[in-house]
Amino acid sequence: MTIRLPAIRHDRAGFEALVRLSAETEGHYLSRIEIDMSQADWFDADMCALFGAILYRLGDRLNTIQLEKIRPSIAQILSKNGFLSNYGRQKRPDTWGTTIPYQRFDVKDDRYFASYIERELVNRHEMPKMSDGLLKKFRESVFEIFSNAVGHSRTELGIFSCGQFFPKRKRLDFSVVDLGIGIRRNVKENAGLDLAADKAIAWATEGRNTTKRGRIPGGLGLKLLREFIDLNRGRIQIVSDAGYWISWQGKVQSGRLNHAFPGTVVSLEINTSDTQSYVLLSEVSESEIF
Amino acid sequence: MNDSLDLSIYEIVGSPLCVASEDGQKVYERIAAALREGRAVSVSFRNVTSLTSAFLNAAIGQLYGPFSEDEIRAKLRVQDMEPDDRALLKRVVDTAKEYFRDPQRFDQAVEEVLGDEAR
Repeated sequence: MTIRLPAIRHDRAGFEALVRLSAETEGHYLSRIEIDMSQADWFDADMCALFGAILYRLGDRLNTIQLEKIRPSIAQILSKNGFLSNYGRQKRPDTWGTTIPYQRFDVKDDRYFASYIERELVNRHEMPKMSDGLLKKFRESVFEIFSNAVGHSRTELGIFSCGQFFPKRKRLDFSVVDLGIGIRRNVKENAGLDLAADKAIAWATEGRNTTKRGRIPGGLGLKLLREFIDLNRGRIQIVSDAGYWISWQGKVQSGRLNHAFPGTVVSLEINTSDTQSYVLLSEVSESEIF
Repeated sequence: MNDSLDLSIYEIVGSPLCVASEDGQKVYERIAAALREGRAVSVSFRNVTSLTSAFLNAAIGQLYGPFSEDEIRAKLRVQDMEPDDRALLKRVVDTAKEYFRDPQRFDQAVEEVLGDEAR
């Protein structure tokens, strides 16, 4: 079968297009799937995390994937971040150092993920000058997303990530994707709430709601992330099942996609020129903690 | 604290990046073992550069299952933490206290602990 991919931007339409690709290829086994990219005149690099997750899942079902008619400008971006190396192309050097490579991790790879973030974000001289406070918060936020995927998703096919820095726009995009059970099912099975997919995402990002059960408490990861992004005046988008949720400049919107994605996408946009200290106003002394 | 156990998070994890729940579990096991012996525990976060709620939930949050708030307050000390890390730990602790006040979750937690000990 052949599927045409449109321009993929880091927005609802971009998610909708990739989730449609996932839905339309669902059920294929030992097939040859050609993805015609001639119409894709834009591809936000961090969306490689979702694209790669979908293609990896297809590969796991013994399908052969062929990416066809990729425009040179897109091929250049997707080669620089190592994405196309998975599909027979050679990696190109990233002269300006604006890519955060596409990478797949297993759930046991917490430390490997942490060193990838250190190597590709923190210790690279090409990266934008971010304040120490912002860098620490950003780093911890992506670790929270990874931990959330490890702790909640039950993914067997791994966790996928990719990012891109836009120097002129002073923006850093970073996405983490898992192929797990999704937030809706998690909320249903562990909190006993049968919510629509978008409502389930909203539930998981609010208050002290948690789907965590057992002896280790949880319920902070997504809230911390949301608080940080609000302070940073950045943007967070979450796709899980057929739910789409976005928080931008303190405003939340959500809705349903036309198809369901078998997993969860957390996509961040960080404002890199943010100079806040991120030391909370209410100081907590060591004796007050317990 | 004469008979206190001094723990270095950095040494136990072997990295300044304290992000994984499994690493938090290693810290928890040492703290819990000492508390069961009635010892005071002092935990140093010196040289730790990144912390997540997942790590802290495993390392410290889950103490509120088997141990009482009074016991933890009397026996556990943390030190060498950055202000924002202290604020994060405080939130983890507050959330854990609330979590273990929910009887259904608590029963399940106790069941898991007993299950582990029976293995």
